[in-house]
Amino acid sequence: MPALPTRRTFNKTIIALGLTVALPVAAIAQDPSLSIGMSTTPTTLDPHEDSSSPNNATSRHIFDSLINRGGAAENQPQLATEWKVVDDTHWEFTLRDGVKFHDGSDFDAEDVIASLMRARDKPSQGFASYTRNIANVTAPDPLHVIVETTVPDPMILNSLSRLRIISSDHVGDDVQAFDDGTAAIGTGPFKYASFVPGDRLELVRNDDYFGGAAEWSAVTLRFVPDNGARLASLLSGDLDLIETLPAEGIDRIEKSDNLKAIRGQSTRIVYLGMDVARDESPFVAAKDGAPLGSNPFKDANVRKAMLMSMNRPAIVDRVMQKNGTVADQFVAEGYFGHSDAVEKVAYDPEGAKKLLADAGYPDGFKLTLHGPSGRYVNDSDVLQAAGQMLTRIGIDTSVEVMPWSMYSDKYSDGAYSVFLGSWGVNTGEVSNPAVSLIETRDNDKGTGRYNGGGISDTEIDALLDEATATLDEASREPLLKQASEKIFNRTWILPIHYENVVIGAKNSIAFSPRGDKYTLAYEVKSAD
Amino acid sequence: MITSLIRRSIQALFVILAMTLIVFIGVSVIGNPVDILINPDANAAERTRVIAHYGLDQPLWRQYAIFLQGLLHGDFGDSFVYGRPALGLILERMPATLELAFSALVIALVVGLPLGLYAGLYPDRLSSRVIMSGSILGFSLPTFWVGLMFILVFAVELGWLPSNGRGDTAELFGVRWSFLTGDGMRHLLLPALNLALFKTSLVLRLTRAGVQEVLPQDYIKFARAKGLRESRVISVHVLKNLMIPVVTIIGLEFGSLIAFSVVTESIFAWPGMGKLIIDSINLLDRPVIVAYLMMMVLLFVALNFLIDICYTLLDPRVRMDGRA
Repeated sequence: MPALPTRRTFNKTIIALGLTVALPVAAIAQDPSLSIGMSTTPTTLDPHEDSSSPNNATSRHIFDSLINRGGAAENQPQLATEWKVVDDTHWEFTLRDGVKFHDGSDFDAEDVIASLMRARDKPSQGFASYTRNIANVTAPDPLHVIVETTVPDPMILNSLSRLRIISSDHVGDDVQAFDDGTAAIGTGPFKYASFVPGDRLELVRNDDYFGGAAEWSAVTLRFVPDNGARLASLLSGDLDLIETLPAEGIDRIEKSDNLKAIRGQSTRIVYLGMDVARDESPFVAAKDGAPLGSNPFKDANVRKAMLMSMNRPAIVDRVMQKNGTVADQFVAEGYFGHSDAVEKVAYDPEGAKKLLADAGYPDGFKLTLHGPSGRYVNDSDVLQAAGQMLTRIGIDTSVEVMPWSMYSDKYSDGAYSVFLGSWGVNTGEVSNPAVSLIETRDNDKGTGRYNGGGISDTEIDALLDEATATLDEASREPLLKQASEKIFNRTWILPIHYENVVIGAKNSIAFSPRGDKYTLAYEVKSAD
Repeated sequence: MITSLIRRSIQALFVILAMTLIVFIGVSVIGNPVDILINPDANAAERTRVIAHYGLDQPLWRQYAIFLQGLLHGDFGDSFVYGRPALGLILERMPATLELAFSALVIALVVGLPLGLYAGLYPDRLSSRVIMSGSILGFSLPTFWVGLMFILVFAVELGWLPSNGRGDTAELFGVRWSFLTGDGMRHLLLPALNLALFKTSLVLRLTRAGVQEVLPQDYIKFARAKGLRESRVISVHVLKNLMIPVVTIIGLEFGSLIAFSVVTESIFAWPGMGKLIIDSINLLDRPVIVAYLMMMVLLFVALNFLIDICYTLLDPRVRMDGRA
């Protein structure tokens, strides 16, 4: 029986044929398509239904916003070419002239008004945090819009970069109409071809894109949340690029001749929060199990000792397999509000023991750490490692992890003594995490929603309140820097690491990862 | 027959009603979907609006009443996550799961029955022993590991078959199927084999046990004494009698193939219902969880009913009126 040709020998035959018929092969090579394996699944193509990373990354292929967010969260012109502050609550945007939707209709101010209002008034309230300050949007003429805010809002440009502009013909359409393509008509670099929820989105190039046509004639976004399956698809050549390269595959990829790992730092910070409010914390006890009689985390020295006990470079190197970077504050260098005056606390178990003894706990105490499993990269392993390190300085630590669906509402409501938390700093500046995680909880103001430790520091609150009402960037930056210094030099939370973006790709692909972890086909280039 | 049908339908109705209650209360005590669905930046007013939008501000009994009312109109409510009718979401993904489960079942029967028959008829042959030992592997190897090995060997190393996904589909009766296209078939093969492995072993061992139980029976000796051809003895007297346990198990296993093919669907990124339900549980998408579980209750009730009908066809002693 003759041997069946394997794909490799088959490919050789094809190449041999290709040499004799070189022309069509070359033509294909000049107009390549791209297949991306996404690690998360978008729920819908309706860009105003739900503001989750996979949804926003996917919608960015078809739709544009007034403002574009660069890879390091900088604001760039997109459908608006320029903007200016009219007064404290009015911004004027000049729209790009001559832009057309995928169906050939013209883009103008009416589309902007319709889109922003639709995002604001959708019952799902998915984009509420970006639209809550928008009072009204008006258009003096088809190429200008005025955005009126309810309060002076320094983050309005960031908010607008989240809100996709759809055609005003489709504002009344529901989720279904976007998913089946009838309403998925934007001005973006790619046009809708087909969408199978939970499986794939097929796109074709918009040749008339105002930013210049994309390099790929067709793009397929495959949604492959399973790590093994995603890795296998890259290894077998079915996909050109995959998100979140699993740690177990990195070795294999880096040894391979035609694949590579691309790393970049994300803006997601992972930290330990502590109960600093109660007089007796529920998961703390003396070593013999008796009540401790005090809450050790109220003492800044204990908090600092805990941070000193953690060998964070080792966590990043071994537990995270280099898929993280040690963090000392909310944002890395180069981002808005980063301060060089934040002390970098080094690993020092002896010093930690001494601090603990000085604080009145020479024998340490017993502690249970809580955290989610499967929510963040290697979350339960990171927590285990932190627990072992705390045990070494005399804090007998056990670890309890649970699914995110059970954990999420408990940790933010202060059910635990010490808990693992994480925040993706969407805005790329300090006020966003600080207001939610550090500022005193005030439900009416919307601050401290995830302040699960009950932190209440009036100096920091005052700085944040002032910063979030200051439009001028030059006067806002020092306020946020000071906030960073006070938060981390007082060790209100224990920063562990920033998650890294790790992408697996063919050598023929060039891509530089973004801080927000979005993989945008328009920014993917061929390496040669 | 008719009265029994009616009685069974009423029973099924009560089972379903009881399930709605259990499921509804069950999903309501695990976590708060709002905490998962809402953007972490949202403030109190926005949270309240979202809670009201999903109807979660109502007391549980009223939520249940609203749900039952919708159910009477065939409406399971809109998914919290997808913003679309839950039933539609499930039905949309059902064909993918059905074709996977059905392919696996066919493989299990086509491979398992003949091998089991052979191993039962000639238990002392070396080949039979090899088959039986092989079936132990099929039982004990974990599905996810075999699936990953399949991908590693056939997709990554040999490159014969695609590693995951559904491939090209073609439309039949308004539904898209993979098995109608060559590319779709190539995508279907590995997950179907993976899913079939355990069931094949099961069918094989059941068949062998059945054969060995039936062979020493008097009617087989009599049939042979009558001078019937061996092929007729096997195909009519042996096979028909051992089919009863096989049909029972196959029926129930088909249900579990559909309801619980989650592992295979995840590994092969097969966009079926299994993946949907796991995602929905993780996101506490209550309407989808409830709708899915209701569908599964219906499925198992229907399958049990079909199994009973098969019994009467296979074994005249079993009657539908329940007196036998």
